[in-house]
Amino acid sequence: MTEKTPYSSVECEVLDVKVETPAIRTFKLRPVRELSFLPGQFMQVSVPGVGEAPFTPSSFCKIKETIEFTIVRVGRVTEAIHTLKPGDRVGVRGPYGKGYPLDAFRGRDVFVVGGGVGLAPLRTLMYSLFDMRKDLGKLVYRAGCRTPSDFLYWEEINSWASKPELDMRLTVDRSDGTRECAVGLVTTIMDFDGVDVSKAVGVACGPPVMMKFVTKSFLSLGFRDENIYLSMEKNMSCGFGKCGHCRLGNFYCCKDGPVFTYAAIKEFPGIWD
Amino acid sequence: MTPRLPPLMYPPMNFLSLSRSHRLFEALGRNYEIYFPYPGYSGSSFTNSALTPIQKAELGGVRTVDPVKAFFFMGRERVSDGFDSAPPGTRTRPLCIIGAKACDLQGFRILDQVFMDPEYGDPTYRRLRETSLVISSDCTTALETCFCTALGLQPHPQGLFDLNLSPVDGGYLVEAGSAKGQAVLDAHPDLFEEAPSGLTAARDAARSEVKAMVESNVAATGTPNGKDLAGRVVHHYDSPLWAEEASTCVECGACNTICPTCHCFLLYDQKNDRGFSRFRVWDSCLLNDFARVAGGANPRERLWMRLRNRFEKKFEFFPATGGMIACTGCGRCTSACPGKIDIKRVLRKLAGD
Ligand code: FES
Repeated sequence: MTEKTPYSSVECEVLDVKVETPAIRTFKLRPVRELSFLPGQFMQVSVPGVGEAPFTPSSFCKIKETIEFTIVRVGRVTEAIHTLKPGDRVGVRGPYGKGYPLDAFRGRDVFVVGGGVGLAPLRTLMYSLFDMRKDLGKLVYRAGCRTPSDFLYWEEINSWASKPELDMRLTVDRSDGTRECAVGLVTTIMDFDGVDVSKAVGVACGPPVMMKFVTKSFLSLGFRDENIYLSMEKNMSCGFGKCGHCRLGNFYCCKDGPVFTYAAIKEFPGIWD
Repeated sequence: MTPRLPPLMYPPMNFLSLSRSHRLFEALGRNYEIYFPYPGYSGSSFTNSALTPIQKAELGGVRTVDPVKAFFFMGRERVSDGFDSAPPGTRTRPLCIIGAKACDLQGFRILDQVFMDPEYGDPTYRRLRETSLVISSDCTTALETCFCTALGLQPHPQGLFDLNLSPVDGGYLVEAGSAKGQAVLDAHPDLFEEAPSGLTAARDAARSEVKAMVESNVAATGTPNGKDLAGRVVHHYDSPLWAEEASTCVECGACNTICPTCHCFLLYDQKNDRGFSRFRVWDSCLLNDFARVAGGANPRERLWMRLRNRFEKKFEFFPATGGMIACTGCGRCTSACPGKIDIKRVLRKLAGD
């Protein structure tokens, strides 16, 4: 067997680019060889010769031929990614880290709360939860964004409203006159009916301040520390516990996370920084 | 494995005279690219036998200015070309490092754990570790900055070498620490001879003397024992000590690059004749952007938080995850720091209330 380097990327072709908001696009890629992943795991996406950045796929993990990433333009690499057009080539390596332990969710109520670009990884998770819907108890989805025009996957998420047994509510920090949506922080729409909080799973994904307050709400609703799953964001370079960038207490976010239970990390100082 | 002869039948042929050591190094130079310490103004540094005659090697003394890690985990290394899944080809001649000290060998323990894991092992690091010949040597003196004994180490190698040379009158006492090292001894029977009597005792006396020098450093500076440092960074997490110590930090990152255990790096991509390549370059956790995320948030925004992070990583994270402190007591960070941040002083403060 020839030796492999963990640093190389798999070549992918850009199949489609969808403009979600002025600063956010979703890229549909076709890898030259299969790249499987689980909801919550992340990958490093690179523009050849420019650099790479970490993203969690936003597509359903059972679709194997293509993979989607929803990417905000915030820096040098994402700037370059945003110039990509169908037919262009990019690199992807991974997946890295541990995703959501879906098997442990079976038979339990699942309460998912997302904010901002955190809705991208949660889209992957929601597809998997819909896929295993009959094995779950209640399924609750709460999502918040700054304004209605910042709302990722607006039409798609709204179409979920017709799904049986999904308790869904959306909110925005403030209205901007584009789409109709309730106004208020996501923590104000965390009431629900009939969830068994002693066993229920809480999932939060979004900006650190939002996760901090959502965690507080989960706790005051009675969710257990070990049942609250947080998707932590850290600076990542290697993705596999070598480069040292993503340390979170006594863990590396890339390899031990990026999904952690609150119980696992709550003792470390500065987890929300 | 070749069977070893019963030890008592033959006296150990483990003395290498100074002049024969040069012959040995020259012979090794046919198969290896040789690096050895060469004295300079602020201490000795590694030089190549192509640049400096091997007779100038200084195998006693103390650790070099530059860490041995730099040969194995290089400052900048090409780690992939294009979309090719095979690692890029590297040097053809293996390395022979002469004069590594115990603190550098201890550094291998940490770096091996980081870079040689079965799942995501770093192919370049692994190849260099497997193909290189490491010839260590005892420290024959100590610097004021040395504190290896506080961390349970000795100023003479106790493992992780292929051969160790202990400077004694007229040459070296040689010990093989691996099959590779033993093979070198076996291949050059003409160079080694029976040690003149009393040399082993002389070596042990010299070792004790150097150890006592380091111990008196440790005692004089009140440097705590590594065993007593567990939980101390977390205990002092919000202490003013970090801001005090960081007040003279100029954010150069020298403490990181000079450290035998610091392993952090950054991957960056570059277009080139091959299309594009990926490089792994040393990174430094003292630099502002080290932990900053793309959106702009920086969990360690202040310099003192980054200094604290360095200690947290070495004295909390590594003991918890790898079972050892990621510091070897070499004192290089103290010597290299333009802000005169003394690791022994920081550790003393950590041990306090
Ligand atoms: S991203 Fe390199 S250690 Fe986590």
